[in-house]
Amino acid sequence: MRTKLRLLGKAVGFCSLLVLTLLAVSFVFLPKNNHQAFGVHADEAPAGGIQGEPENSIDVLVLGDSEAYSSISPMQLWDTHGFTSYLCSTSGQPLYDSYRLLRQSLERQRPKVVILETNAIFRPYTLRDAIFARAGMLFSVLRYHDRWKDLHINDLRRPSSTWTDDFKGYRYNPGVDPARTTSYMQPNGASEPIPTLNEICLQEMLTLCEQSGAQLTLVSTPSTINWNHARHESIAAFAKAYDLPYLDLNTLPDQIGIDWQTDTRDKGDHLNHRGAVKVTQFLGNYLTEHFDLPDHREEEAYAPWSRALARYQTIAR
Amino acid sequence: MTSYCSLAYLGLFLPATVLVYGALPLRHRSKVLLAASYLFFWSVSGKLVIFLLASTFSLHHFGLWLDDVRLEGERRLAQTESGSRRALRAQVQAKSRRILAFALVLHLGVLLALKYTAFFSGNLNHLLGVFGLPALLPVPSFLLPIGISFYTLQAAGYLIDVYRGKFPAERNFGRLALFLAFFPQLMEGPICQYDQTARSLWEGRALKWQNVTFGAQRILFGVMKKVVIADRLNLLIQSVFADYATLDGGLIALGAVCYTCQLYMEFSGAMDIVIGSAEMFGLRLPENFRQPFFSQSISEFWTRWHISLGAWFKSYVFYPLSLSGPIKKLGNRVRKRFGPQFGPLLSGSVALLAVWLCNGLWHGAGWKYIFFGLYHFALILGGSLVAPLSRGAADRLRLPYDAQPLRLIRIVRTGALVCIGELFFRADGLRAGLAMFHRMIFDSSLAWNGAFWELGLDKHDVFILCVAVLLVFAVDLGREKGIPLRQSLADRPLLLRWVVYDAAVLFIVVFGAYGPGYVPVDPIYAAF
Repeated sequence: MRTKLRLLGKAVGFCSLLVLTLLAVSFVFLPKNNHQAFGVHADEAPAGGIQGEPENSIDVLVLGDSEAYSSISPMQLWDTHGFTSYLCSTSGQPLYDSYRLLRQSLERQRPKVVILETNAIFRPYTLRDAIFARAGMLFSVLRYHDRWKDLHINDLRRPSSTWTDDFKGYRYNPGVDPARTTSYMQPNGASEPIPTLNEICLQEMLTLCEQSGAQLTLVSTPSTINWNHARHESIAAFAKAYDLPYLDLNTLPDQIGIDWQTDTRDKGDHLNHRGAVKVTQFLGNYLTEHFDLPDHREEEAYAPWSRALARYQTIAR
Repeated sequence: MTSYCSLAYLGLFLPATVLVYGALPLRHRSKVLLAASYLFFWSVSGKLVIFLLASTFSLHHFGLWLDDVRLEGERRLAQTESGSRRALRAQVQAKSRRILAFALVLHLGVLLALKYTAFFSGNLNHLLGVFGLPALLPVPSFLLPIGISFYTLQAAGYLIDVYRGKFPAERNFGRLALFLAFFPQLMEGPICQYDQTARSLWEGRALKWQNVTFGAQRILFGVMKKVVIADRLNLLIQSVFADYATLDGGLIALGAVCYTCQLYMEFSGAMDIVIGSAEMFGLRLPENFRQPFFSQSISEFWTRWHISLGAWFKSYVFYPLSLSGPIKKLGNRVRKRFGPQFGPLLSGSVALLAVWLCNGLWHGAGWKYIFFGLYHFALILGGSLVAPLSRGAADRLRLPYDAQPLRLIRIVRTGALVCIGELFFRADGLRAGLAMFHRMIFDSSLAWNGAFWELGLDKHDVFILCVAVLLVFAVDLGREKGIPLRQSLADRPLLLRWVVYDAAVLFIVVFGAYGPGYVPVDPIYAAF
């Protein structure tokens, strides 16, 4: 018994030392600012810009993959309605990343609405990916280990976030490449099941939103390639089961006015800026109608948003 | 679980199995290993576990049948008068041989059917096409159960050994099942002989702290080889083998060297994990590598690289063939006609050719693998013919054959020949391999410094690769010289050991090639 206890003590001692070392090294490897130049992964930099926003200043948080950052323009929402929104969306975002970004954002923000673009819900991943992502949240060295190539004495300092994206996570793309089909939402009686791990992750996101007082809202942005009626049915059933608002913009082509000849940049996979303007206009009206979102346009504290809008308008016309 | 390096295996499956193994009484521990092995197989190959199960049942049945025939023969021999014994012995022998042949056809037939049908029917159709005839056979694509090439060879070896009377057939089904399916060796070997491992696997062993730490140590070293070196080299190797047509021959040569290094790090790293996993349970699996790049000839190389495969072919193909009646007759005829040294040479060469054809085909169904086998056959045969001449030449020139500089030259020469072979092994088909080789020989310059940096590695990557390869080299050198590195580390104070282990984990975490921008190399030998 004594030997076993001694061995157990050894194992605990070694593991504790390892965890402490990993935590210390993680501190060093964490980018010391939220700008790409400090080592933030290029695709994550626009989403990470939310860390540079003042505390409790974002009203609507958007999560999701490229469908989200191609379809919703926060600057247009600001210009038209005066509430603030930010897209924490990345290319091919798996749902465990949506969860991580949500949790990180909620540390400094109290959004009234959290929008999840639903395409990410059908992106499968393995348990290994999910465990690795969770471990990466604790030990950032797992996510930023490649920074060993650029480490500097300044990496021993505390990290700060001073940068934000003028486009608030939106990625402007004016290119046009028409879609071949427009009849992608034909009902066929099928329903595509949500992968189990994704469903668990969705429930965790829902809990996080409830704890911070945000309303989780599911939105499917138009895409002839990524969306279909089977997916719509599945998400509609999930939204009903958890009493969540669900807006499928693929089912409202006439109200939004999407023209698949001119409003997509890659044959219907993603919208271009022209399509995003139409979606944002519709979504802005929906959000103001269904949620009590404030108009900050006259508030002095939000002057940087108006300046960012001016810069946005010089590019995204 | 996709590989022994996966988080699921190292972080969950292996620790859980060790804990359950240690928690149960000794008499149940082998059952834990058997259950874990089938769970492992199922997690990788799903329903194809039926192949492993069928193979085990068949092996058990044929083994007992062979044993029964032998025992019955012995009983009858004891009752027979000495004059009739010879005929009876021949009768028993013939019956045993028929059973063995049937069992081997069954076991090897499944492997041949699943792995080689597409290759043979594709080539037959192509041949018919040359004569303007329509394709005759469909080209199927079968899912292969994981490790079928490994466990089939173990099964065949067991049957042949029972036939030879090396040991009696195993009556305990569980012991035989665990011998075939032991999870650490299932995916990439080593290919064990029954009397090497079966008994120790089935004995319940006490879980010892030193075994667990030594096993973990070895696993850590294997993960380092795979994640820091093999996966990082993948960036360059993929570029070189995909875009060889636009690259300088010097870069192709470098790609071949890097691929050889990757293959060694990946496969020997996997073996470190395999042997380390078994060590945690107090089990010793045979080594599959013995510092192969210290070899001075190709034949020596193959006694140090994938040792268990070489040993299998030697025991079950080379010796039976070279000692078989027809080959012996042929050898005698040649000896009488051309001189005493040519008889054994010819019989040995025929057996060697068969070994290398099988070796090439075992690695995969493709002409490049056959070429790979024949390439090594030619080198080994050529080497055995040239070795006496070169030794004689060295003596005449009064050069000490075993002096360090000459040994070093032979080591470098052997390494270069191995790299050329691996170039064909990795190329996308034999034609691409030949084109790469042609470019390497006839279109090489040293003016590729700028192009090198466009292949995916930067200066930091090269630096860390050099550090990690030197580390492996130092450990290999220590092993070659018989220095007990692990024991000397184990004798150090506790805190120092912890610092070393922590540093090793950190080395992998920081310098490992994983995450965005990296594509880890799949377990190369698991595909064979």
